[in-house]
Amino acid sequence: MAVSTVNHKSEYLLVTQLRKYWLPALFLAPAAFFLAAFIAVPMIQAILLGFQRWNGIEPATWIGLRNYENLLQDKVFWKSMGNVVYYTVATTVFQTTIPLLIANILNSGLRGSTAFRFLYFLPVIISLTITGLLWRMIYEPNFGVLNELLRSLGLRDWTQLWLADRNLVIPCIIAVSIWQSLGFFMMIFFAAMQGIPQDLYESASIDGANVWHRFRFITVPMLRSTMTVVIVLNTIGGIRAFDQIWVMTTGGPNHASETLGTYLYRTAFGALGSSNPHLGYATAIAIVILIFSLIFSIIQIRVGQVNEVEL
Amino acid sequence: MTATDQYRIIQSIRQLVTYAFLILLSIVMAFPLLWMVMTSVKEQREVFTSFLPRQLDFSNYERVWHAMDLPNHLGNSLYVAGINVAIVLITATLAGYAFARFQFPGRDWIFYVFLAAMMIPGQAILIPMFQYLKSLDLLNTHVGLALSMTGGAISFATFLMRAFFRTLPFELGDAGKIDGCTEWGVFWYVYLPLARPGIATVLIFQFMGVWNEFMFSTTFLISPKLKTIQPALYQVIGRYSVDYTALSAGLLLAILPILIVFLLLQKQFIKGLTAGAFKG
Repeated sequence: MAVSTVNHKSEYLLVTQLRKYWLPALFLAPAAFFLAAFIAVPMIQAILLGFQRWNGIEPATWIGLRNYENLLQDKVFWKSMGNVVYYTVATTVFQTTIPLLIANILNSGLRGSTAFRFLYFLPVIISLTITGLLWRMIYEPNFGVLNELLRSLGLRDWTQLWLADRNLVIPCIIAVSIWQSLGFFMMIFFAAMQGIPQDLYESASIDGANVWHRFRFITVPMLRSTMTVVIVLNTIGGIRAFDQIWVMTTGGPNHASETLGTYLYRTAFGALGSSNPHLGYATAIAIVILIFSLIFSIIQIRVGQVNEVEL
Repeated sequence: MTATDQYRIIQSIRQLVTYAFLILLSIVMAFPLLWMVMTSVKEQREVFTSFLPRQLDFSNYERVWHAMDLPNHLGNSLYVAGINVAIVLITATLAGYAFARFQFPGRDWIFYVFLAAMMIPGQAILIPMFQYLKSLDLLNTHVGLALSMTGGAISFATFLMRAFFRTLPFELGDAGKIDGCTEWGVFWYVYLPLARPGIATVLIFQFMGVWNEFMFSTTFLISPKLKTIQPALYQVIGRYSVDYTALSAGLLLAILPILIVFLLLQKQFIKGLTAGAFKG
């Protein structure tokens, strides 16, 4: 009798132990496999490759920190860095404030708000490649519709080379980015605004608060964490910017719109087939991008949104 | 004039100004898209003369359809997206369920490792991935491209599915077990059917991500015939540099599949995308 209880008990224990470890393990295994094979392995290789010189054909040689030392003296790298800072700061400022203001207007119980939201959201679903190509046609100096429009309005003096002008190229790209992302950030703000209790606004109105006061002293403080998320998202997006810029200018003219992403790509895959690929050096640039975006990703997770997502 | 009249007038002026602003903004937002639609149905020599086409000319669509071999590239995109989305959905649903429903030692740590994967930018692994696919003989194949885009995507999709499963009541599983379900049965018969909206959101989000992806697609597929739609369009702009009518038609045809999904499932679509805001 006693023996059988013990057996029973240990059997039970065994089953619960199995449940505890094996069941989750079985459920996690497929995802873990793909994460290991297609993120972890290449990531480790990237870190190692940053310390090597390699043209992709001959065997790689270890050169320690040489790639990173060379980066520090590379004018194009610093130019790209400067452009990334310029682009990131500008897009972050505009792509936070403008969507916030527009979401606020659309949240004021206006008729037709749904239609406006739908329209502003449309560019979001289109790929960065397609919008890049579309705007490249629009900005084209000789045949582009933008200069055409200016000419037909009698503003011939205002026509520009746009993407071919080294001072205008980044502002032009920023404008496209604002146009493309407006609907996305507007929706995030709009969704958050729906969560602000209505009686806050009502009691403020009774106290004589006008539209600006309500925005400044209720909406903005209530949206603080949403704003942080939007700012961080914009910052990460700016640091990683590649698709749209590559499609519109490939970093040109003469590096005027070069970002870390385009410079990395050019170094690795020789856009014009002009030089040998420097895979180690390009990977060092990739590691710089990784470090900067990790810093902001960690800030984002620290803001504490991770557990608040609801579908 | 009474005070209320004055108030009403101020109110309506304010409303008028607001609407004027929103409509102006709508014009700016819609103009590039409208221009693309208009250009795609114009005759070539009409492009620079007027905004509206004199008559609808759909021959551009036919021209770009054949000259660019669009069906081939659209098919390639669909194939890559199909493989990738299937892998991501299956693995992430299982993993998300495990994180939400099971208690096991080290759960939170493992979850953070999963999260960390989505903070890695594509650029960081672009070059090693190229070499890696080459060594696996998967470079310049659709399967290779589909696999290269699984890593970060699974991480994010797991995160979403976990969040979704956590909204479902625990009692359901216990009830299922009392009724004699195995753990697998609880997952398969009880929770999975309830998770459909979450799965739909992840599906849409992931499909759009793969359909619109450019950097990996343009790097890992080398043969022109194998190219997916985004790099194919990019390649073609050199050849059609001033044939704006054909190019516009091509861009529109590439947007169409996403646009249809968006129009049909707008709510899920926006949910999926804005949930993406909380991704690292």
